[in-house]
Amino acid sequence: MNYLECFRAIARHRTNEIVITSAGNSSQAWWEVTRDSNGSFYLDASMSLSTMFASGLALAQPELKIWAFMGDGAFAMNPGMLMVERQMNLPNLTHFLVSNRVYGATSNASLPNLEKNDYAAMARAMGLERVFEFRSIEALEHDFSLLNGGNAPGHTFVVLEVEPFSDKEQKLEQPPFDGPELKFRFGRHIERLTGADIFGYRI
Amino acid sequence: MTNKSRTVAMQIADALSSCGVQLVASLPDNWLMDVIQTIEQDDRFVHVPVNREESAIGLCSGAYMGAMGSAALMGASGFMTVIYAMTKINYTYEIPMFLMATLRGALGDHHKHHLSNGLYLLRVLDAINMRYQIIDKSEDIGLIARCYEHTRTFTRPMVVLFTRDLLRGGH
Repeated sequence: MNYLECFRAIARHRTNEIVITSAGNSSQAWWEVTRDSNGSFYLDASMSLSTMFASGLALAQPELKIWAFMGDGAFAMNPGMLMVERQMNLPNLTHFLVSNRVYGATSNASLPNLEKNDYAAMARAMGLERVFEFRSIEALEHDFSLLNGGNAPGHTFVVLEVEPFSDKEQKLEQPPFDGPELKFRFGRHIERLTGADIFGYRI
Repeated sequence: MTNKSRTVAMQIADALSSCGVQLVASLPDNWLMDVIQTIEQDDRFVHVPVNREESAIGLCSGAYMGAMGSAALMGASGFMTVIYAMTKINYTYEIPMFLMATLRGALGDHHKHHLSNGLYLLRVLDAINMRYQIIDKSEDIGLIARCYEHTRTFTRPMVVLFTRDLLRGGH
């Protein structure tokens, strides 16, 4: 399925979920389809840690629902993260693995073992139970409610098989925020939603 | 676990709790096993053993954005692997991060393979302008609170380095 169309479909189903994106195309794509500047943390300055970051947030604020995007290039660098995610088994965390079989942020360079990697099987092998795979927008639209159930018994892992960005899509704008601005916009949003005191002072 | 190492581990746990730390993410180092075991058994903390040290950086940084106090606990070799994650996440977004690690390769270390940590650990910290505090005796464990507060005041990472004499009592 087309990467951007996939993200548009997911964005249509979003209600109040907090979103963490990863280095590379997922940040570009989410920014392109939402222009969200408060409830999304574009964790561009990180390879392979978006779902760990999201896990910390999900643990700290269990009433929030957290969506974390990660490309399979990042996943290849740290697949053991799934052991930690399974161990924590946070019901308010959904890990979207965006599988385009390339390092999208670096001119679609090839991934190792790209044709044989079975991410869903890897997740199941690490004990994850709520594992989903989607290869079409139609299937994603049809079954999205299964992913997003408010009373999910544990952590959810979703593989999205998408096409790599085209040359034109590679030129999409990156989220434009300086790091501290992103931190404060996002953090103040979390404070408003939860009443939590992140920064120790209010304006 | 000796009485002395158990006491030191408890003092470290108490110091962390006094700062409001609730989440501790760890990877093992033989010197740290008493501390890790103490934290694992202490209801004041959620202890998350992680798959690699960088995961601890991600986890603790996310916890900060949810207003949860946290600490990452690791050996010196593991610390040397987190330079990328810290300088990207914690420096770029100015997210505070509190770490505790072992001062491997220093006087008293029995393991020759920690030669590189003895040579480069402190120099790497200097190179990335990251503050550190060496804690060598139990009377100084109270410095943990000051160091933790420093990370929050200046929104920077900082590491406390425990010596073998502190953690193993010279045994």
